[in-house]
Amino acid sequence: MELNILHLYPDLMNLYGEYANLAVLRRHLGVMGVQTAVETAAPEDTPDFRTADMIYMGAGTERRQKAALTALTPYASEVKAAAERGAVLLFTGNAMALLGASVTDAAGKVWPGLGLAEYTTVETEKRVPVDVIAAPALWDAPAVGFMNKCSTTEGIISPLFNSLELGFGNEAEHGPEGYVSGNVFATHMTGPVLVKNPAFTDLVIRRLFALRGWDAPEALPVLPHEQEAYAVTLRELRTRVQ
Amino acid sequence: MRVFLAIVVCKLLRFIGKLVGKGSSLPGQYALKICPDILSRVTLPPYIIAVTGSNGKTSTVEMIAAILRKSGKNVVYNAEGSNQIEGVATLILCSSSLGGKMRGDVLLLESDERYARLSFRWFHPTHFVITNLYRDQLTRNGHPEWVYDAIVPAIHPDTTLVLNADDPLVSCFARGHEKVKWFGLERCSVSTDRPRGAYDDGARCPVCCGKMAYTCRHYHHIGHYRCPVCGHERHTPDFAVTALDLDAGRLTIDGQTEIALAFRSIYNVYNILAAWSVCALAGAEPAVTASVINNYILKNGRMVRFTLGEHHGTLLTSKHENSVAYDTNLGYIRDAKQDCEVLIIVDAISRKYFTGETSWLWDIDFDLLDCPQVKRVLLCGKYVNDLALRFDYTGVPAEKVACFDTVPQAAEALKQDGGGPLYVVTCFSDRDKLLNLVQREQ
Repeated sequence: MELNILHLYPDLMNLYGEYANLAVLRRHLGVMGVQTAVETAAPEDTPDFRTADMIYMGAGTERRQKAALTALTPYASEVKAAAERGAVLLFTGNAMALLGASVTDAAGKVWPGLGLAEYTTVETEKRVPVDVIAAPALWDAPAVGFMNKCSTTEGIISPLFNSLELGFGNEAEHGPEGYVSGNVFATHMTGPVLVKNPAFTDLVIRRLFALRGWDAPEALPVLPHEQEAYAVTLRELRTRVQ
Repeated sequence: MRVFLAIVVCKLLRFIGKLVGKGSSLPGQYALKICPDILSRVTLPPYIIAVTGSNGKTSTVEMIAAILRKSGKNVVYNAEGSNQIEGVATLILCSSSLGGKMRGDVLLLESDERYARLSFRWFHPTHFVITNLYRDQLTRNGHPEWVYDAIVPAIHPDTTLVLNADDPLVSCFARGHEKVKWFGLERCSVSTDRPRGAYDDGARCPVCCGKMAYTCRHYHHIGHYRCPVCGHERHTPDFAVTALDLDAGRLTIDGQTEIALAFRSIYNVYNILAAWSVCALAGAEPAVTASVINNYILKNGRMVRFTLGEHHGTLLTSKHENSVAYDTNLGYIRDAKQDCEVLIIVDAISRKYFTGETSWLWDIDFDLLDCPQVKRVLLCGKYVNDLALRFDYTGVPAEKVACFDTVPQAAEALKQDGGGPLYVVTCFSDRDKLLNLVQREQ
């Protein structure tokens, strides 16, 4: 069994530790006997969207996000086609904004997005770096993480997280966060989101198995330290909230 | 009258504050309330030197002060590190006459990179040293380009920028600015052709996002670069380290002056060079500068030697949330080429604010510890599981890694396991948890 993963622009979109999302996913898949081939694409490359089972892009600075958007825009229809055939898309941090209809930068310039969703993002002068506890729409365990954003996103009717105990949602503090549609997942949480949330990793694995028509075991493998690290972070953040 | 009142109140509050052991920002805060533009109304010394950047501010400022004092100048500086506008106001006003004239030949400021613009709205430095911009405390700072954008408004056209030529982001400050002096390190024994580390912030041009080309790297994104797309490139330094032998602890500046290094770290090299450069611009004689910084031991010592059981320990203070600082210390341990054990503590991520953010652990190149002389790696603190998980993705063999929930448990295990050199890598926020359990050496 082998899966193809396309990692978009890792040398541009890597605010901190984003690479670990694919490292942890590949480790889990490997334990399950699934080999993974990762294609890393630079903005100058012509990525192969047709064979990708999963497409991942992490967070970047505001300037680099625009460079990533410029590079990816010619392939918007191919990204859409990948999503329509059920490939798993994971866009984290400000990569999330690229899937929408537009991004308006702090100077007021409107950048057309890839158009997979209708939401619009507006950048602000204010940056919000903040810890997050989120209530997932698709799984039980609260998600933990961090966001480092200077934007608001409007027009999302299917958020990935219904509400936040801690953190700024798409439009407001504590409000709904992220976006999900089929196998397209987006969240403004940055860094190693999958490392911090084993339940999210499990969901991604199940979706990948379903895409290929493979049977996933009822209980997925649990790797050392992941659950313990998650539990400590959740406990510490909850203490903070109280 | 308000100037007079503000200065009197500031001096009085500072006097009382010292008696009761209070910090240095409150007096300035009150003075600024009484007279918001007070800093533009006092007469400042002929040299105003500011230092900012992600790493090395405190050390560089300390060396500049020592050099200029040896050169016979009266230097006033914020040794306490109160580097926001209130602390700067306290420093200036407490050094001023009631008529509003500041004493001294040089005002020297360690300046917070995000808030420099607030201080320099009212006055501007004659010389502004910018050391480097890295991924640093992203939970506060956002990211390096965000910090860059925050520094830009602090730069006055009349200020001479003293910039690290080897940092492609820092060198962007020179764009459209006339008065610039550069310092840099020529290709030397530490230079490599390829980057090393868990990530590469030099991969893309900070101006146009084009693919950057380097002829050599000194560490991380620091090196000799050129963007083939837009032409953004390293400038030839006005002040250069022309030879460096870290193993021997020796560097040469401008092909002429040899300096011995008390601390054999690439950081120390850049801090020395930055101090050398701005002091030369402020009129210090090379011979005097050399006599001060030769074998200079920093008073803000981030390295502490201690004894724990039979172990001789060296604590290398890093900063959590700063992977470059960690990498530098891990590289130091690797380059020491001596059999050792290494203790890493991540308990409180910050001493100033709360966060549970651990993404930065994935940016640290812990593979530097994957070498035969590192016999054991002990991990401990509240975030020991995050550390252990991170180590699962390094080449360090699992049997070399031991985990402990608390610092005392790790210290006890070390006491029991015999002797040998021990290195400890942790942050200001956590280091006392160990130092309280050991005997410090002088």
